[in-house]
Order: sequence, then C-alpha cells, then structure tokens
Amino acid sequence: MCKQCELNPVIILSNSTKGLCKSCFFRYFERKFNRTISQFKLIEPNEKIGVAVSGGKDSLSLLYLLNKIKEKRRFKIEALLVDEGIKGYRDKTIKDAKRFCKELGIKLTIISYKDEFGYTLDQMLKKINIKPCSICGVFRRYLLNKYSIKLEFDKLATGHNLDDEVQTILMNQFRSNQEVSARLGPITGIKDNEKFVRRIKPFYLITEKETTTYAYLKNFNIPFCECPNNTQAYRIEVRNFINNFEQKYHGTKHSIINSFIEILPSLKEKYKNDKEIKSCKQCREPSSKEICQACEIRNKLK
Amino acid sequence: MVKVFIEKENKKINVKAKDIDEIIKKFKINKEEVIIVKNNKLTPRNEKLKDSDEIKFLSVISGG
Repeated sequence: MCKQCELNPVIILSNSTKGLCKSCFFRYFERKFNRTISQFKLIEPNEKIGVAVSGGKDSLSLLYLLNKIKEKRRFKIEALLVDEGIKGYRDKTIKDAKRFCKELGIKLTIISYKDEFGYTLDQMLKKINIKPCSICGVFRRYLLNKYSIKLEFDKLATGHNLDDEVQTILMNQFRSNQEVSARLGPITGIKDNEKFVRRIKPFYLITEKETTTYAYLKNFNIPFCECPNNTQAYRIEVRNFINNFEQKYHGTKHSIINSFIEILPSLKEKYKNDKEIKSCKQCREPSSKEICQACEIRNKLK
Repeated sequence: MVKVFIEKENKKINVKAKDIDEIIKKFKINKEEVIIVKNNKLTPRNEKLKDSDEIKFLSVISGG
C-alpha cells in the first residue's frame, strides 16, 4: 500500500475495502502468480512447459508472465493453440494469439480439427447432433494431450482462473459429481505417466476480475470475444449465482477455493484411479475403454 | 448525457446519470463481472458523473 493506492486506485480486492494503485496491483498480481507456482510446485527447473492459448486475455496474460519468469526459474515455454474452426470467433482470437507470440518471440503450434478430424466444428455441427461444448470437451482435451506428448512438454499450463475453478467445484457439488472434482486442482494428472501430460493452473488463486485488470493495464489490447456456440447454460447460471453471492458476501469465492484445497487430497485419495490405462484400438491414444471418446465421436462423423 | 459502452452486449448509449452506481442499477450490471473505465481510467469506486464523461463496462468473463 502506498499514497497512490489512496489517490489513484485501479482495483478493490474482494477481501478488502481498500484499493490498490497500478504499480502495487502489478506487484500483488505477479507475487500471487509466483507464489502459486512455488506453493503447488507447478514448475520445476529445466522443464519444457507448453502453454495452451486461446487468444483470450487469460491465456495471453499467462503466456506473458511465464515468459517473464522463465529465465529466473530456468524453464522453457512454447505455445499451443487448438483451432476448432468456429467462424467469427476462433479466427479472430487466433490473430491476437499470433500477434502476441510474435511480439514475445514464442513458438506457437496451431492444431486444427479440420486437419486432425477432417472437418471444422462448424461443419461437424451440421453432420451430427451433439452439443458443441460436448464435442470440444473431448476433442480439445484429446488434441492438447496428444500434441503435448508429441512436442515433448513436461507440463501444459492453462489460463484457468479462480472463477473458472469455483464454478466447476459448485457445479460438481450441485450434481453430486465428486469423482470429477477429484480431478481438479492447481496441478492435475498422474506423475510419471508417459501417456498423459500433467496440467497446471498458475492463475488458480487469481480472480477473472484481476486477470482482466492486468491485461487492461498492460495494454494487451485483447477484445472480449464470446464463442457463438456457448451451450453451457448450467455454468452460466452457477456463475450468476456465485457473482450475486460474492457481491453480497465478499470473499465467498476465496472461501470456496480455500476449503476445496483443504479437502482435495482426501478426494484424490478416495477416487484414486487404479484402472489400467489402455490404448485406444483405433488411434492408439490413451483410453480407459477399448475405443476412446474422441474416436467414438469420430465414428459418428463418418 | 454520459456516453456508456457495455462491452458484453456491444451496446453504446447516451444516458442521464449522476453517478456510476446509477448506471449499474439501470442496466442491472453485476459489478463482479466488469471492470469500469471512466474517461480511459480504471475506476473501482462509485464516482460522480458530468456531461460528456465516457464510461466503459468491460467484461471480465472468459469467452469459452
């Protein structure tokens, strides 16, 4: 806190009534980001970290910050983007991602549904009757893992923030999906499994209001862009519920995430997956069943 | 009149309002879901408004 914080605040943090000025906010934000990485051991020296970018403010801020600390913490980064083929949306955000990676001198690999599965998402939606978010839920995860292995990433970082995680935690609570919650957390996946690349979320303790403020003050110039297929009605309702609650009772989101971090080890222990991970008969990618979920959708497209 | 821009709905309007909170109430904006920019400066607190002020409500929500 400094004199400027009183005179020129840029944000009021959710657990406080006092404001922070621009430079104090930058310090606060970057410290929180660094602390999250250290506290949950997200990155080890000499690792190669893939950064999943969408072209939105969260993933590009993440890329910027990882790039900033990579020398001090001695790791390497590369960016990875999945182009689903959504006209009027992804084509726009790809431009921002390309510009950003070029400015920072970071290698960007773009993988597309069209090259990988033969069709863009827009074309798939005309062929089969599956909700777009259900297709992307499977295909994006599949491609990100496949290419993270191919590009020899030790871990894959995503721009998921505190709000994203809190929404998922509550959605799983409301639907009694504890097993799905067991797979959440700041670092996910199984250590030393060569078929899966572990995922890390360095913005785990940072709200979306904070990431937006950061991107705005850094002049990243990333316009708001919403996927036209957004069919996640339930998530939107949960998000509204949480945000209304937070307005009334400041600090609710942080309390949810903090209690979740406390119970997560027991959840993970309870739902430890002892099932053998097989290879999909069709594509050889890891799968718990004979045919993986991606190939199940792929077969419907034939 | 105050110039208002609501990014999420891509809405540009001129409104009569004495302060920021009045606009928030009028358009049922959830403060948790926006950052507020007054005359190109981030403004986290309610502030009095005068004619020709420009207020932007930028969305903080992830696009999916």
